[in-house]
Amino acid sequence: MRATFANWVADTAKRDENFLVLSGDHGYALFDEIRRVRPGQFLNVGVAEQMMVGLAAGLSRQGFRPLVYGLAAFVPIRVLEQIKLDVCYSKLPVLFVGDGAGLVYSTLGASHQSAEDVACLRPLPDLRIYSPCDSEELKACLAESREYSGPSYLRMGKGDLSPVHDSPIKGTKAHWIFKGRHPERPALIATGSMVSPLLSLSKELDISLLSVPRLKPFPEEFFSLVQGRESLLVVEEHSRYGGLASAILDAHVEKQIPLPKMEVFCLEDRFSEKCGSYQYALSEHHLSLEILSERIRQTLRRSSL
Amino acid sequence: MAFSGQSVHIPCAFSLVEILSVLYSKHLHFNPADYKDPKRDYLVLSKGHGVMALYPILQKIGWIKDEHLEQYFKDGSLLRGLCESDIPGLEVTSGSLGHGLPIATGIALGLKRRNLSNKVFCIVGDGEMNEGTMWESCLFAGHHKLDNLTIIVDANEFQAMGRTEHVIHLEPLTEKFQSFGFLAKRVEGHDINALDSAFSEMSKVSHQPKALIASTTKGKGISFMEGENQWHYTRLNEETLERALKELYS
Repeated sequence: MRATFANWVADTAKRDENFLVLSGDHGYALFDEIRRVRPGQFLNVGVAEQMMVGLAAGLSRQGFRPLVYGLAAFVPIRVLEQIKLDVCYSKLPVLFVGDGAGLVYSTLGASHQSAEDVACLRPLPDLRIYSPCDSEELKACLAESREYSGPSYLRMGKGDLSPVHDSPIKGTKAHWIFKGRHPERPALIATGSMVSPLLSLSKELDISLLSVPRLKPFPEEFFSLVQGRESLLVVEEHSRYGGLASAILDAHVEKQIPLPKMEVFCLEDRFSEKCGSYQYALSEHHLSLEILSERIRQTLRRSSL
Repeated sequence: MAFSGQSVHIPCAFSLVEILSVLYSKHLHFNPADYKDPKRDYLVLSKGHGVMALYPILQKIGWIKDEHLEQYFKDGSLLRGLCESDIPGLEVTSGSLGHGLPIATGIALGLKRRNLSNKVFCIVGDGEMNEGTMWESCLFAGHHKLDNLTIIVDANEFQAMGRTEHVIHLEPLTEKFQSFGFLAKRVEGHDINALDSAFSEMSKVSHQPKALIASTTKGKGISFMEGENQWHYTRLNEETLERALKELYS
């Protein structure tokens, strides 16, 4: 997924001279290609994330289309007020990319991990939020953000997972990755880094798997897709508060649709404790593939169908 | 408007009056018929608390109406107590401090990239210079030699809770800017001729950003507000309004 991102950045820079990439001294090898083909359109502003967002707002006011890159722990979390006031308040077309979201930086500790990036952004008016699961969804999300005249945030999580889609997809609607034979059974609803690991499990258990690459605006088609399901098993590498599970509940309340029966598998309400691999870090939150699979099996055994 | 709207933040507007007057009358290029004219120079008020000094200028140019000033702070009115970019003639939203200068720096960089000669003037408070983003912007502007950017520090020596030198010592401010690569000088901020010649002199220099540290008095022109920081939070009543007007017109 990161190679796709790097290539898209370089291609977009070639197509549009107003496209500028701003980085706060992050993304060492990620920007080699744009620096090779369009060095003037990559700007390392220094380790100064807050100023970087203001700078992007000023450049945007001059007709440029900035992409502001950082680790999700810094963009958006460190610069939340700048995103709100400098960019969203004037609905400027700035694309924020938060890389390494979730527990990707498992060995670096809490400073570089982010369970709350989507939560802190969801209340900001006019901001679109994307959470792609693989290269194809990434390309669709990036393309849509370029078409939009306002600000977007793209959450980039674990980047080396198996691809989910084997061909390009159109748009960023919620869509079935796998459809089980029984439309009334519980369905897995996942976003970003949690989609790919669930694919083989969903096939093995013959349980449907829905991917939600756009979290805001909430995908309208969601309701009809999951209609009639006994329950929704929502899986995300994000806090329970303010992420996909919250978005689903909020959308039901807004639409005055009865709340579905839901179980949520997500990052727990505490910081990571010990150092270790990505899977180890997930296991502290009972979200490693092994533990998650067992939890889902247990839930299905309890299921009435 | 401060009286009818019962607004606070009066003295921090009075410290700005001559700076704005000199800029709008002699150094800031603008088109009265189009506040968004691409050929305009940019005035970014980073210390949004001083916005009351700017509203009458915008009204005089014709970008906002008399009634907007008269309706200050009334329900459903247009003008707010801090700088907001949806008001014709105000370039950015500021007042949360430390936001205007980074945006002004981005505008200056954007103009440079397009080889345009428009200038960017950014008025900041001395208290605002406590913010890290101000110094991040100075590092950036110095490194990229943004000579189209002029920072004007309204150095009225006060911030919300007290004297700047007591809260966070800022001096020597001129030397600090110089060490960041700026052409910097201090000027008497209520002396129209001194401000005029400082801007003229600075505009001749290229390859470095500029900083004008304008020594000002918070509440200038109204004796009972000058140097009295409680007036940052005090509203005018009929008696203080009358005294203030008498002093201003004398």
